[in-house]
Amino acid sequence: MDDPDLTPALRRELAELEAISFVAHRDAGAALAALTEYGEAAALAWLRAARTLFEHDRDAGKAYIRGSAEVAEAAGELLPWVERMLRFAQWRGSWRAVEGAMEHLAPAYRLLGRAGALAWLDLGLLWCGRGLEAGAAYFAQPVATLMGPSGDVTALRALLAPAEALYGERRLPLAIYLAGAPRARDLLGADALAVWARRGADVLQAGRLRGEAYFRLESEESRDVLLQHLPGYRLPEHRRVLGLVLAAWLGEAYELRVSEWSPEQGRPFVETDGAALYVPAAMAQREEAWLAVLHAAGHLRFDGCERGAIDELHRRADLAQPSLDADRRVTWRPLFAPYGADMVRFQLIFDLCEDHRIDAALARVIPNYLPRLLAAARAANVPEGPAGAYFRAAAQGLEALAQGGGGMLAVLAQSSATLVDAWALAQELYDEGSFPPMTLAQRAAAYLPWRGPNAARAVYPRARSGARAEDAVDASQPQPAEPSSAGRKDRPEAGDERELDTLAEQTAGSGGRVGAGVPQPARFAARVRAAAVGVQGLPYAEWDYRESAYKARWAWVQERTLSERDETGAQACLARHAPVLARLKRALQAQQPRRPAPRRRQWEGDELDLDAALEFIAERKAGLAPKPAVYRQRRLLQRDASVLLLADLSTSIMQPAAAGGRVVDSLRAAMLLFAESLEAVGDPYALCGFASKYRDGVSFYTLKDFDQPLTADVRAQLGGLSGRLATRMGAALRHAVTRFDGRCARQLLLIVSDGRPADYDDGGDERYLMEDTRMAVKEAVDAGVHPFCLTLDAGGTDYLPRVFGPGHYLVLDRIEALPQKLPEIYLRLRR
Amino acid sequence: MKSLIQRLRGVERDIVQTPPEGGDAPYYEAQGGEAELFEAAYRKRLPVMLKGPTGCGKTRFLEYMAWKLKRPLVTVACHEDLTAADLVGRFLLEGEQTVWQDGPLTRAVKAGAICYLDEIVEARTDTTVVIHPLTDHRRQLTLEKKGVEIDAHEDFMLVISYNPGYQTVLKDLKPSTKQRFVAIAFDYPAEDVERRILANEVPDLAPDLVQKLVAVGRRARVLKDHGLEEGTSTRALVYAGQLLSAGLAPLDACRAALVVPATDDPELAEALMEILAAHFPQ
Repeated sequence: MDDPDLTPALRRELAELEAISFVAHRDAGAALAALTEYGEAAALAWLRAARTLFEHDRDAGKAYIRGSAEVAEAAGELLPWVERMLRFAQWRGSWRAVEGAMEHLAPAYRLLGRAGALAWLDLGLLWCGRGLEAGAAYFAQPVATLMGPSGDVTALRALLAPAEALYGERRLPLAIYLAGAPRARDLLGADALAVWARRGADVLQAGRLRGEAYFRLESEESRDVLLQHLPGYRLPEHRRVLGLVLAAWLGEAYELRVSEWSPEQGRPFVETDGAALYVPAAMAQREEAWLAVLHAAGHLRFDGCERGAIDELHRRADLAQPSLDADRRVTWRPLFAPYGADMVRFQLIFDLCEDHRIDAALARVIPNYLPRLLAAARAANVPEGPAGAYFRAAAQGLEALAQGGGGMLAVLAQSSATLVDAWALAQELYDEGSFPPMTLAQRAAAYLPWRGPNAARAVYPRARSGARAEDAVDASQPQPAEPSSAGRKDRPEAGDERELDTLAEQTAGSGGRVGAGVPQPARFAARVRAAAVGVQGLPYAEWDYRESAYKARWAWVQERTLSERDETGAQACLARHAPVLARLKRALQAQQPRRPAPRRRQWEGDELDLDAALEFIAERKAGLAPKPAVYRQRRLLQRDASVLLLADLSTSIMQPAAAGGRVVDSLRAAMLLFAESLEAVGDPYALCGFASKYRDGVSFYTLKDFDQPLTADVRAQLGGLSGRLATRMGAALRHAVTRFDGRCARQLLLIVSDGRPADYDDGGDERYLMEDTRMAVKEAVDAGVHPFCLTLDAGGTDYLPRVFGPGHYLVLDRIEALPQKLPEIYLRLRR
Repeated sequence: MKSLIQRLRGVERDIVQTPPEGGDAPYYEAQGGEAELFEAAYRKRLPVMLKGPTGCGKTRFLEYMAWKLKRPLVTVACHEDLTAADLVGRFLLEGEQTVWQDGPLTRAVKAGAICYLDEIVEARTDTTVVIHPLTDHRRQLTLEKKGVEIDAHEDFMLVISYNPGYQTVLKDLKPSTKQRFVAIAFDYPAEDVERRILANEVPDLAPDLVQKLVAVGRRARVLKDHGLEEGTSTRALVYAGQLLSAGLAPLDACRAALVVPATDDPELAEALMEILAAHFPQ
């Protein structure tokens, strides 16, 4: 074992090591051979460090000795790192950290250079000082992972900065943090990483398992935070503009939904299922995102999912008919199945052809579309490997199109080309065999920046848009056998409606009734639960007409929030009623609460109305007897009013309406328009709803309070409004009255209902809750609040005059008119 | 002859003016059979209602018809504070005496002019009471304050305009008023007509710019139901064309004439700019 080249000092040191461990001595001797070239002093220092580490911890020493040759080779030096490794000896049980450090030190030198590697080591030692667990976790991570794609130490510092801050504040364990932080940093960049980490620390404090899952990027919360902070162009924030532009270019409104894409799935694509467009949470560039959305909408607009064409493809493939999934969507799989293992290749060729057809069609409609495509294609890097062939073919197709035709895809640029033509050409190209085989993993790179796999989702077949098309579309094409809108009709929610159709029954006059049956005395005693423990909310008295007395603390109101949200529904609803809203708004502008214009022709006032005065004198002289209303009032018009809209959210609003749709659809639209109109007027307003089950369960939902702004969330709540339970109106009324703060002189409580008050425990005694409501109305008036009821119950005239008083109610015979009427009625009332 | 008219600009003129004999016709591009319809209504002295969005050529049409029928045109732009007295007339003081002064409607009735009440819904409701007897077989105007009735001149004709977009919750013509009129519906002109209009109104505009402007306008009108309160009017396109011919860059001209006046909604403006950018690449 004794090497004759070694100096006596080294030999001595080695001999001492032998006394401790044979293995250490053997390994060190082997390593020394490579280390002596750095000078005797350095080698000696190394050997002493080896002994120190070995004496401190056998495993640490072994790892150190075994890894050294490689590290030395990568580093080209010994002393700086040896000196740092020696510091591990100050901690008991540091062997895992040493093992990790020795394993990754050589790559660190190679990747980061001398300064970077030493900085890496120093940072690790710092963390070891905070806790060996943290140090071990740090050194367990490959250097490349820690550094990220940029590969320098600043990236590492950026990665550790949030961990350091959170360690200082909340002792966030580095081991947990590092599980997902490098990936999060790579995806989000350094700035958003801090937000992600802080949120994670919160989650971790709430529960360890949840927190760990968060930091491993496995929980939904983590994914949400990631998506919210993804750099690049965030499409969900621009859905409305995109929708508007699509409507302008293509003449159709498409729904844009956010897809389930998350960054670890690789490149984001805009997809369609034949009914809606699915946009990813973010795309790198605005231009790329816009082109992708236009392109995907082009698939819908230019019959990429057209029923007739899809049927034809199936006929050609000798398939009897398209196979439908549970939602009656057509899946593409059977069409591609014959290509077996080569499916990806054919799919790509088909996408190449079909995408070219779509882009050519879009270029005919949108003047700058083709130049933008070309610019994007030229700016993109052509992928290496087989994907490049597809990428180049697609780009060349567009270049040829820009130069006025030619090329193998030229036939698809004609306005008469269809999905079937694209398929046929794809088959030809496939049979030629000039495109290289592909694997699924390589596929994403083969698409031009704005394109993506067309068969990514099963599609709802669409009716042909030929009738609306501005381009000449061959009229001899067979018309779809199914009626138009078939694609939409087949959707599951429509299925629910069909079921409801069978339940269609006359609901007028009894809407809201749930406790059906033979009228019998109300069973109050049966519901003793109210007085029991666990009662929540606020108690209100209820009027019992038979006793002519109040039942104290009888009905219990709980404030709840609605959980359903439907933002796209709300937007679609507003778009549908845009003309009505525009008209309303214009009328409202004339009604701003503080009209600065002075009032003319008043009987009294601060100054003369010159016109009126002249007229008065002139008419007097002419021998007439004019009225002396010749004053002008400088006082501003004070028409301050506040309104609380209280909607009956009982089950009955889910009933189908006579004119199609459901009652709730009109209610949603009405409340949305009401809110938008009131925003225009500027009066303080609140939006509330109520439902009840038994006297101890009156739910009061505040969608928007007086001093709350009308946010997207409020709109989403309105869009997602749905019915539940029954209508204990009196209690809800009493509670609503307490919401007024007396800020405005006139306080209006606008109740929108579709039936008379009823609840499960009223025993079928219609009069009981009605009388109670009547008393609640009286109480409200005493409190300075004016209730007004708007009902959809055609039989309302029977009882509403008694409950609300004549002139304080309105029966709406056409539910569809509600959206327009509701704001109008308010305006009429506030005059 | 045009110079004569031009010389008359900026000069005080009586509101009842017969169009000068043999003068140039005001430029009007027919969209359909509206001129024939109007002439037929005029022959039978039926009151006419012009319906249509702002800036689609209602007022210009009437100027043209007045010229063609050689009748004076009295235009009253109605506003919120317009009362019946403003239309019919009122007593004025003059020295120690009071003098009755005819309003524009009274003068038109007497002179046999075409009286055009623009945006009638904006006026106070009492004005509609005044025009009712003028619109049926009586063809009479009652001056209540003076206690007289005037039988309309046999050439007198009443025309009102009415923008359905303006039809508000609170302001709408009563059905009893509406059904007294023969209505002509206007809409934005067809594409080729609109091109001719633009080329005529802005003679030095290059044909490709005309074509692009018209294309932009037609695209923007699609957005009407998506938040744009009024479609892009032909008048706005003419303004954009004039800014262009005055040397402004296309995008700036269109933003100033078509986008900023049309909407305050930033997203809608962005969408409109996107359409503009597509037609006018920088």
